[in-house]
Order: sequence, then C-alpha cells, then structure tokens
Amino acid sequence: MPDCSRIDPLVTPFVDGELPQDEQQTLTQHITACPACRGKVMAERAIRSVMQARRAELSGPPAPASLKARCARLDSRPVPAAPSVKSEFPSVPSLRAPAWRNRVAPFALAATLLLAVGGAFIYQATRSSSRVLAAELTVDHEKCFRLNRLLGTHHSPETVEASMASAFDWKVQLPDEGGQGELNLVGSRPCLSGEGKMAHIMYTYNGQPVSLFMLPRETRASELVQVFGHHARIWSEGGRTFVLVARESASEMEHMAALVRTTIR
Amino acid sequence: MGPARIASPGADSDARAAFETDALEFVDSLYRTALRLTRVPSDAEDLVQDTYLKAFRGADSFKPGTNLRAWLFTILHNTARNRARDRARDSVTVDSEVVDQAADTPQFAMAGRVDDPETLLLRNTMTPELKAAVDELPDAFRQAVWLRDVEEFSYAEIAEMLNIPLGTVMSRISRGRRMLFGRLQHLRPVNA
Repeated sequence: MPDCSRIDPLVTPFVDGELPQDEQQTLTQHITACPACRGKVMAERAIRSVMQARRAELSGPPAPASLKARCARLDSRPVPAAPSVKSEFPSVPSLRAPAWRNRVAPFALAATLLLAVGGAFIYQATRSSSRVLAAELTVDHEKCFRLNRLLGTHHSPETVEASMASAFDWKVQLPDEGGQGELNLVGSRPCLSGEGKMAHIMYTYNGQPVSLFMLPRETRASELVQVFGHHARIWSEGGRTFVLVARESASEMEHMAALVRTTIR
Repeated sequence: MGPARIASPGADSDARAAFETDALEFVDSLYRTALRLTRVPSDAEDLVQDTYLKAFRGADSFKPGTNLRAWLFTILHNTARNRARDRARDSVTVDSEVVDQAADTPQFAMAGRVDDPETLLLRNTMTPELKAAVDELPDAFRQAVWLRDVEEFSYAEIAEMLNIPLGTVMSRISRGRRMLFGRLQHLRPVNA
C-alpha cells in the first residue's frame, strides 16, 4: 500500500473529480484502509459542499451602481486631446427635405429606421459633462438596439412624426414609407429606462446601428466625443440638444449629422 | 456566459461593442472577488475599474472562444498583485510558511471516523462563522479556495490568474480547505 505522503496530493483532485481513473483506484483502495487519509477526503469534500451551498451568502453585495456606471463609461481608446471638430458642420448643400432621396442614397444610410419615443433619462446639462452624456447615451444606444432586435416592431413614419409632435412638440419630417430610397422606417417603441422624456430615433447605416437622441429644452456646445468605442456628435438647435451615436469615423459622423439635420425643423 | 458567442474583439467595431457589453456583465462577480482580495470597498471598486480599463484597452489580446470571465479575473488578480508588490508586501510567502506548519493536524483522522462530516458541517455551520473562517484564511489559500469552490474556475484557469504552477494551485486549495475544516470543526462542541 502506498504511504500517506504519496496519497496526500491526490486528495484535492479526487474531491474535485479531476483525478485520472487509475489514480482514483489507488486512492480509493488506500482510504478504505486509512482513516487519516479518508478524513482528509471527507474534510475537503465537506468544505467544498458547504462553500457551494452558501455561495450566495458568502458572495456579499453586488457592485454598487456607481461602479457599474463608471466602468461602462471607460473609454477603450485614447482620445485626441483637442476637440476634433471646430466647424459646426461641413457644408452640405441644400438640406431641404426633398433632398432626402438624393442625399441618402449616396451615403447608403440604409435599410432601416427605428424609432423610440420616451426614453432614456433627462440628462441635466448643468450636471453632466458632454463626456458623461455621451457615455450614457452610448449605453442606451447599445441597449435599445439589442432590445429592438428582439421586438422587431414596425411603425409608419406618420405615427412617429405624430408622437414626436405630441410628446416633444418636435416637428420631425420623415420620408414616406417606401418612397425614401434606401431609408426605411421599420419601428418605434418606448425606451424602457424612462424617467424623463427624450426622443430616441434609431437608424442603421450600412447595416450598422446609429442612434439620434433629442433632449428637449437643453443647449450644449457643439462637440464630437469619443467614448466606449463610439463617437457621439453633440449639437444644439432651436433650444434642443441632439446627440448622434455610432461606431463610425469622425467624417462619417459629420455626414450623418448633416443628413439628419434635414429632418429637423 | 458561454464563451463561444463572444466574437473576436478586435475584428470590427460591432464585435468590439459586443465584447465590451459582455465583459460588463461580470462586474458583480469581479467586485465580490475584489472585495475579498482587498477587504475594503473603495479599494475593491478601484481595482475593478482598473481591471475594466485594462481589459478594454487590451481587448485584442483576448482569445475568442476562451473564457472571458476567467480572462477578466486574470487581469483583476494581476492588477491586485502589482499593487501589492508596489506596497512591498509579499503575503504569499509568509502565509505559506504559516500554513505548512498548521496543516496536517490529527483532526482528519477523526473526520474519517465520524459518519458524515459533510452533513454535520452543512447542518451546524452558520454562515457568519463560515464567512469569518474564510476571511481569516491567509490570502493565498483564501484566493485558491474561493476561485475553485465559489467561482468554479478550473485548476488551469486559477494557475493563470494567480500566476502559479498547477501543482501549487492544488496544494493551496487543499490546504485552504483543510484549514477551514479545522477552524469550523474547532467551533463546535466535539463529541461526534
């Protein structure tokens, strides 16, 4: 019979079910005859069971909400130090509504337009920096697109325009269904984390999700913020703040922002 | 938390977004472990935030198809180790010596004779005393037992996290469990 010092290292993997078959046999034979080694197996097994049984109580409190928010806001890439956008927008000729078809097709601002009214939060301009705002909206952007993938709702542009007008007194002009080239309105739904009122319109651009948020009664400096792997293009117009969120390059963001402005009155 | 659905984080922006969102799902689990390592909430928060910062910046080094939670835990432990090193503490060495002397006491012969120490322990051990006993374990052994029995990582994953050989992982789990058993055993009137 092997001595106890050779059996001892087998005890833990045996308890964890990680011991090869032949060694299992060796150990089993040994502990049948040896109370000391059997005691080790039983002790370790007892501890493993009690730890697993009390896992929930042992685990302690979940992470504080503030920590979760801070982690979600972490930027994964270095940000250029200077504000990368000086001009309000690059010149886009003729931003009138009829230009939708012409303007949209070249950019392939394509396929889908989703819309959500209600919305995320009321973000207080005085209390949160552009960076925090951008981070929070980026999280909403991700979350809403994930939810929408499940829900797959569909509303007409008229419904969306009407709800924007009544909820926000915001006259937004959307292209008619089927008559807007590659741009299709496919759905609207309320955002779930609603505390305040914020409009959230979701687009796809070359299959990639793009969000437009509208914050009523708020003005902010024009800015392009890079956060969480996304760009957030922020600007204000007519006493409202708009934030466009997407994983696109700075120049694409400018194109999209200019394009989106054609719908805002 | 199936690692298979996690796409390559560096592949494109969509995969990266998915990667970051998936990673953030483990914040509770990382925080609890951080709290166990630091024992101070503010330090634990700091450690977790640092872990995510490193994870997001180093996303390209994550191998798709492997366990994302284990990868994050490795970063967490590396970060904690570096901090401890900065403070010029090496508790592991000291702890090992202490426990070398403490382990292998005759109590196990007794455990081998009682009918069912597992049932006894489950029935008689109150959560607060279990918690206290876990907290009193030397860091090295507490970590190993915790990662195995509570977080259920494999020996190999734990070896990577703690940056120690596989054999050391097993011996630390072994000693940690036996120490715990000894302490909990000690708390009860012994007449089994």
